[in-house]
Amino acid sequence: MKKTLVFAAAAAGMTALSTGVQAQDCTTKVGAVLPTSVDWGRPIAEVAQFAVDQVNDAGGAAGCSIEMVLRDTQVDPKVGVDAAKALVDLEGIKVLLGAVSSGVSMPILTSVTVPSGVMQMSCCSSSTAFTVLSEEGKTDGLWFRTFATTSVQSAMGAKVAADKGWKSVAILYKNDDWGQDMSRLIAADFAAAGIEVKANVAINDAQPSYRAEVTEALGSQPDALYLALYPTEGKSAVREWISLGGTQNMILANSLKSDEFRDAVGMQYLGNAFGTDTASPRVESADAFKAAYTAKFGSEPNGPGLANSYDATMIALLAMEAAGADASGADIAAAVSKVTDPNGTPVTADTAGFTTAKETLSGGGTVMYQGATGNVRFDANGDVSAPAVVWKFTDAGTDEVEYLSLTEVDAYIASLKK
Amino acid sequence: MIGVLSYLVFFTTVAAILSIAVLGLNLQWGNTGLFNGGVVASFGAGAYGTLILGGPPQEGQLGGFELFYPLALFGGLLFAGGLAWMVGKLTLRLRHDYLAIATFGVAVAFENVMRNATNVTGGAQGIRGFERPMMETLGSGLTYNLAFLISVLVVLALVYVFLERLTVSPFGRLLRAIREDETAARSLGKAPARIRLLAFVTGSVIIGLAGALYGTFYAFVSPQDVLPILTFQIWAMLIVGGAGNNKGAIAGAFLIWGAWTFSGWALSRFAPIEVQLYTGSIQFVLIGMVIVGMLLWRPQGLFPERLVVSQPGGGTREKTQAEGLT
Repeated sequence: MKKTLVFAAAAAGMTALSTGVQAQDCTTKVGAVLPTSVDWGRPIAEVAQFAVDQVNDAGGAAGCSIEMVLRDTQVDPKVGVDAAKALVDLEGIKVLLGAVSSGVSMPILTSVTVPSGVMQMSCCSSSTAFTVLSEEGKTDGLWFRTFATTSVQSAMGAKVAADKGWKSVAILYKNDDWGQDMSRLIAADFAAAGIEVKANVAINDAQPSYRAEVTEALGSQPDALYLALYPTEGKSAVREWISLGGTQNMILANSLKSDEFRDAVGMQYLGNAFGTDTASPRVESADAFKAAYTAKFGSEPNGPGLANSYDATMIALLAMEAAGADASGADIAAAVSKVTDPNGTPVTADTAGFTTAKETLSGGGTVMYQGATGNVRFDANGDVSAPAVVWKFTDAGTDEVEYLSLTEVDAYIASLKK
Repeated sequence: MIGVLSYLVFFTTVAAILSIAVLGLNLQWGNTGLFNGGVVASFGAGAYGTLILGGPPQEGQLGGFELFYPLALFGGLLFAGGLAWMVGKLTLRLRHDYLAIATFGVAVAFENVMRNATNVTGGAQGIRGFERPMMETLGSGLTYNLAFLISVLVVLALVYVFLERLTVSPFGRLLRAIREDETAARSLGKAPARIRLLAFVTGSVIIGLAGALYGTFYAFVSPQDVLPILTFQIWAMLIVGGAGNNKGAIAGAFLIWGAWTFSGWALSRFAPIEVQLYTGSIQFVLIGMVIVGMLLWRPQGLFPERLVVSQPGGGTREKTQAEGLT
């Protein structure tokens, strides 16, 4: 089965080389501002380009082939905003993908995309500030993100601890907007689930050692450790944690779902480490994405934001298709609901799916996109909720421990709120 | 066409804002010889001060006073100046590299305070929701950006004229005297400590002004805006432009910021598709090479410092390098 899929993907690629590109004689540009000068940022850009290639194999969107103009943000707000402005003004883009850091996405949103009426779709910005900004009506409905809000992750973290019977936890969190949000939410969720939070310690980036922070967390002698960190800091912190005799009961945020982290810490210490993530739905499109990704890049999509970046790109392009030629950014943003309609025709996340979507949309129908992160559905603020999964590391990648459907996730979150 | 114009307006605004910061640093380093490694602290103080005072109220956060914009701006400058005065009082007895290390430390501490003082600064999420002044009358399009650019250019011109006059005045001569030989200045009955502090605070207020305009323009500020990289960018601009020369400071800001953004644009447009993903890294290498090249072949900068002899009547007479100072 897997072999056939890989073969099919390869065959599709070959056809694209020979005919796909010439099928259209016009080109529509979409912009991407992503931190390609950072190690984990480059795969996010690669997978976005991969989605664009697949759409071009299906003959492009809105009657034209798509060119993704990629600019580096260097994780510097000034550089990112300038890049976004250049894309909007000089390249005439109507859709902007990015950025990753909320601190870069936010000034782009307030000073470039909203004033220019360009739709912005981020794969990875997680700050709760966007939800508030949108509630205040300052995003003009142009803002979307495929990164499920942190509340899904934090609720799942609490569920893992409750299910395992761990009575107390220490939290280590990355000291940025995402990490601060995470630590606040998870602490509240742990408390709601009756689990004591003994320590809540910030981890600053790029320090040679985290001994002081780890010792502080260790001093409280928790049953388990919760980690809202990225691989680079995560591996140093966890190594010190284990070498100082900390518990191997760990709960990991999805940002640590990386081979780099597993290899650096060592499988023998990760037997009792459970990760949480938003999940792929139980449909073929998720497998198709995994297979296609593996065929293309030679490894499973195990990095932060890869599936999200893929979905962000696909949904943006589907919305362009739905909005038709010469659509404005606002038109495209309005068309997003047409391609993520829960009552629409289900389409998979690949070339064939895009072709189906094109046919359905041209017939006046609506589409339910089943992507790499699930049946993506945006709420009024451009946020997504998603099914969730609890996972474990294995020698080859990760294995699923438990799957919770969207309804179960929502029910669990509601039970915590009581 | 309108797109190019719109982008140029945007680019010039950011470059002009950075020019103001470089001018401030030029007063400190170029004229007085104070090695300020914490430019970003003053910059951030201006931005945070203005947005906290002028922004709308946020839940669970101090601030949101929604002051009239000029008042908020003034508050931002006051904050930048006050911070500089405190830092100056504590560190200005240090010389050269020691001063650089101390001020660098202050800047890193500043960033960390902004990141963690969630009740005041919004923490890592920063301060959002600021309403830019005059937005209602001018709309949010090109007209607004054009008006904003003109205001920034006016401010830049005012700062430039102020600093030019300062440089040729007896006070400017005193600054240079302290820079060249503090003991000699003291032996002539001057008080270097006081003058150094004055120059440091004035320079920091100018840098804070740049920060305030920056925060206003983006309607947002977060700890990511006050990372040490900004200090290095502003230093690179001054070194390339020419320390001690105000024209050089402005030219350096436009050139370096231009190179920074243009290289990104050019690489994304002309580089082959396989290289696209590496443009970020290539860009870093290119910019680094420009700075190293400048230091090797033209360490005095594009516009070297002019030697100026101020005359008692207020007139000035320029001397060439060969003639030297008498």
